Amino acid sequence: MSEDLNQKISQFLDNEIDPVDALSLLKKMRSQPELQDTLNRYEMISHAMKADAFLLTKADFSTKIQQQIQQEPVYLLPQQRKRFKPSHKQMAVAASFVIVAVIVGRGINEPDQPFKAASVLQVAQQPHPEKSVNPAEVPQNQLNNRINDYLQAHNSSIYTNGEADFQSFAGVATYSQK
Amino acid sequence: MMNVKCFFVAGFLLTGSVSANESVLNARQVLAKMNHAMEVLNYQGTVAFLKNGKLEPMKYVHAAEKGVQQEHLLSLNSPLREIIRDADQVSCLFKETQQTLVDHRPFEHSFLVDMPKNLDDMESIYQFDIVGEENIALRPSYIVAIQPKDNVRYRRKIWIEKQQFLPLKVVVYDNSDVLLEQVVFTDIEVKQSLPFVDAKFLNTVYPAQPIQQTQTQSSDQAAFVLTQMPIGFREIFFARKPMHNPEQPVDHLLLSDGFTSVSIYMENKMASIQPGLQSVGAINSYSRTINNFQLTVMGEVPAETVKFIAEGIKLRD
Repeated sequence: MSEDLNQKISQFLDNEIDPVDALSLLKKMRSQPELQDTLNRYEMISHAMKADAFLLTKADFSTKIQQQIQQEPVYLLPQQRKRFKPSHKQMAVAASFVIVAVIVGRGINEPDQPFKAASVLQVAQQPHPEKSVNPAEVPQNQLNNRINDYLQAHNSSIYTNGEADFQSFAGVATYSQK
Repeated sequence: MMNVKCFFVAGFLLTGSVSANESVLNARQVLAKMNHAMEVLNYQGTVAFLKNGKLEPMKYVHAAEKGVQQEHLLSLNSPLREIIRDADQVSCLFKETQQTLVDHRPFEHSFLVDMPKNLDDMESIYQFDIVGEENIALRPSYIVAIQPKDNVRYRRKIWIEKQQFLPLKVVVYDNSDVLLEQVVFTDIEVKQSLPFVDAKFLNTVYPAQPIQQTQTQSSDQAAFVLTQMPIGFREIFFARKPMHNPEQPVDHLLLSDGFTSVSIYMENKMASIQPGLQSVGAINSYSRTINNFQLTVMGEVPAETVKFIAEGIKLRD
């Protein structure tokens, strides 16, 4: 191997060679394995000098890795389709559409009746056969006050935790599943 | 080499003797000691109440002298509150609204954990086990699991400090092992004595508003009867009293199995409540109407349990 080739390999590693010479050098390295060894050796020396650390590898290390990769089998088994999992944003948008649809639907059917928060909750609940008083007619804060009165009478945790915020069971069950 | 062998033998014997001493106490004995310690010791610290998804840290003081006890709590975060429990009376001063409430609660004894006095009756419905040891507030503690033998009530764990047997942490889990409520000391110290606070001073600061001044009445006066009740529950307290306004009496029957309590409320249907299930933290409620009455069953039990009890309630003939 001539000193000229070694010089060119060194320049190649330092990006100091012109493209035409670099192409010529790469062609020669493909045909002369000893040139590849020289390139690897120079590269390790350069890396050790720059990184202040030295990892000893055999000259054919990268070649063997490449061969191993080529020998890896290709799996042609059909991959399992990803199940559609809606994100939180998608669920929120979907829920918004449902609520808007309910409100609009009720507005069309009962145009004279003002919308109240309790009426949405009522829609979420299953209709109760014994129900004769419409909860929508009672303000929501009044309902919560009644439930809070019950809670206060039930145990004294309301003193340590402040006012309770009861939620419909459907909402809580959904939250728990997350 | 001989020295090393002696070291291992000594270590083995020491471990064995410690295990033997600890095995003397079973879960029920530890719980009984906890009951006693909670009554007679003077202790104070910081307690975090985690309920309904909210964390409430509070200064906690328990004073005891000659069989008389007092719990005194100060909230650290808004809304600022000062709470005093003297026997069956709870006084609460809401500092920001300048409102004082005086509440009578003959069926409760502690903000930390209410335990039945006699655990012998509980064997048929709960299993008690020491399931491990952990440090809570830097104090070595037993972990006592209170496992129901059915699915109609929740599982609890109590971390009980090994020297003084005070409860340092109480956790309630649902039937899927999701944590519902937690009460935990972040620091605690036991004192020879601690001062009692005169609850009357709250009344002198702001006029007190009594909530319930009722005596326990016979449940025979209730407008309803129970036809089905989960095993282990029994009637603890009944009162007919106004809750929302003076003109509207409400029947309140409290059931308990010792650890778990369920309240049944019945009042005129004018006080309409959304029918069906509702939930907050560990507490579920189920409401329905029966003729002209509104019924609500509420308790720290699974939703199926309140529904089961509510569906078995009929109007008294």
